[in-house]
Amino acid sequence: MTDQPTKTLRGKFSVPRKLLPYLMLSPALIIIFIFKIYPIISVIVTSFIRDGHFTFRTYEILLGDRTFWMSLWTTLKMNLVMIPLQIVLSLILALLVNSTVKGIGIFRSVYYLPVTMAISVAAITWELMANYNNGVFNSLFSFLGIGRQGLFTDSKQALWCIVIMATWKGCGMWMMYLLAGLKGVDTSIYESARLDGAGYFRTLFSITLPLIKRTLLFVIVANTSANMLLFAPMQLITEGGPQNSTNVLMYEVYKSAFQNGNASRAGALTAILLIIVLTVVILQFRMLNEKEE
Amino acid sequence: MQKHKTLKNILLYLVLVCIAVVAIFPLFYIVMASFRTNIEIFDYALPFTWKTLIPQEWTISNYIAIFEEFHFGLAIRNTLIVVAVLVPLSLSISALGGFVFAFFDFKGKNVLFALCLISFMVPVDAIVLPLYNLISKMGLVNSYASLILPSAASGLAMFLFTQFFKEIPKSLLEAARIDGANWLQVFVKIVLPLSVPVTITAGLMVFVNEWNNFFWPLLVARTEEFRTIQVALSYFQDENAVYFSYIFAGSAISAIVPVLLFLPLQKYFVQGITSSGVKG
Repeated sequence: MTDQPTKTLRGKFSVPRKLLPYLMLSPALIIIFIFKIYPIISVIVTSFIRDGHFTFRTYEILLGDRTFWMSLWTTLKMNLVMIPLQIVLSLILALLVNSTVKGIGIFRSVYYLPVTMAISVAAITWELMANYNNGVFNSLFSFLGIGRQGLFTDSKQALWCIVIMATWKGCGMWMMYLLAGLKGVDTSIYESARLDGAGYFRTLFSITLPLIKRTLLFVIVANTSANMLLFAPMQLITEGGPQNSTNVLMYEVYKSAFQNGNASRAGALTAILLIIVLTVVILQFRMLNEKEE
Repeated sequence: MQKHKTLKNILLYLVLVCIAVVAIFPLFYIVMASFRTNIEIFDYALPFTWKTLIPQEWTISNYIAIFEEFHFGLAIRNTLIVVAVLVPLSLSISALGGFVFAFFDFKGKNVLFALCLISFMVPVDAIVLPLYNLISKMGLVNSYASLILPSAASGLAMFLFTQFFKEIPKSLLEAARIDGANWLQVFVKIVLPLSVPVTITAGLMVFVNEWNNFFWPLLVARTEEFRTIQVALSYFQDENAVYFSYIFAGSAISAIVPVLLFLPLQKYFVQGITSSGVKG
C-alpha cells in the first residue's frame, strides 16, 4: 500500500539513493562485522585447525568424549525445563499485570526489578542466600520444618536451583514483551467473546494467544537463545559442579578456553552450540513467518 | 454482581502481592543485610525470626569500607561512563540502521538484516576468545573502548527500530523530501521525534544488556582504573568470608542504580514495545 510513494521517490532521487543506504548503515555494519561476525567465523575456523593444519580431528575427539555428551545432555535437560517454565510463567505474569486494577503499574515495576539486577550480582547474592550455614533460604527451610538443604552444593539440586534463579531473574523481561503484545489487542474483542458466552480459558486459548502469536514467538526465540547460552551462574556459583551436575556446554567452552588453553576444542564446542541454537531459532522463525503473510 | 467483582479483585491483589514478595525478597534481603555486620548476619540466621531479616544494629560501616578500601566509587564512575557513552552511541547507530532497513530498498538487504539479527542472538560470552585477541591486537585491552565498542551496535535495538519505523507513513517522509530536506534531516527532524517511546525501550534494553555483561568486562578491565561495578564485586568474592557483608553492600548499590533509572521510564517501556510492531 505504501509502494507508490516509494517509487516516486526512487525516480526523483535515484542517484544518491543507490549508495545512501549503505552509507547510513555502515556504522552498524562495521561494528557488527568486526566485533560479532568476524569473531564468530574465527571461532568456527579455529575449531578446524590443529598444529596449523586443517582437520576434522577436534570434532572426532569431541564426539568420542563422554564429558561432551554429558554436558550436552545437561544443557538440553536444563533448557527443556527452563524455557517452557519461563514462557508459561511470563505469560501468566503478563496476563495478571494486564488487568486494570488500581496500582497495577507498581506491580509491573516490582516484577521487572529482578531483570535490572545484573546476572553476576544476582548469582553472588543467591549463593550467599543459599549458604548451608547462614543463608536465609536455609533459615526459612528450618523454620518450615523441611530441614537444611545443600541447594547449589548438592549435585541433585544445583541445576534446578540455577533454573529457579534464572527464572526469577528473567521472567520480568519476557513479561514486559508479552504485556506489550496484550496491550495491542483490541479490548472490544474480549467483550464480544464474553457476550458469546466464552469462558476465560476459552477466550485465552482461542482468541488472545492466536492474536499475540508474533510476540509470543519473538519471546520464545529470544528466550531460547538467551537460556541456551546461559553460563554466568555456573561460572560464579557452581563452577560446573558439584560432580559436573551443572556442566552445561557454555561452561565446557569456558573451561576448554580458559582453564585448559584448548582453543580448538572451545571453538568446536561453540560451533556445535551455535548450530543447535540456530537450528532451534530458525525452526521457531519459520513458525513466526508462516502466520505473517 | 458488585460483591462478586470485589471478591475477584481481592483475590487478584492477593496473588499480585504474593508474586511481588517473591520478586522483591532477594532485593529486600540484600539491602537489609548490607546494613548489618557479618557477626549479625551469622548470629540471627537460625532460628528464623524477624531478626533474620531486619538489622538489630544498623550500620553503614560496610558502605564506608567498600568505598574506602575497595574504591567502589571508582567502579560506579566507570560503569556510569561506559553506560553514558554506550547507550546514546548504540541508539544512534541502531536507529540509523533501523531507518535504512525500514525505508530503503537495496541489494543484500535481507542478508544484512539476517546478519544483524543473528548478531544479537550470539552473546559476547560465546565469542570472547577471538574477540579478546582482536581487542588485544588493536591495543585496546584495559580501556573504555574495549568495554564499549563490542556492544556499540545492538541487533535487538535495530530490530525494534526497524519494526517501529515501518509503521510510520512514508507519505510523511516524502512530503519533507519534496520540501528539500535531505535524508539525514528527515531522520532527525521527522522520524526521531515520533520515536520517543521506542527509543526509551531500546535504550533500556541496551542498558540491561550491558548491565548483564560480566565475563567480557572481567577479561578486558584488567586494572581497578577501568573496573565496572559487576567486576569490582567479583573481587570481594574471591576473598574469604570477612567480605560477606561488603558483597551485600556492593550488590545493594548495583541493584538500586538501575531501579532508580527504570521506575520513571516504566510507562514508556511497554508503550515502546507495543508501538514497535512486536505485537499481535
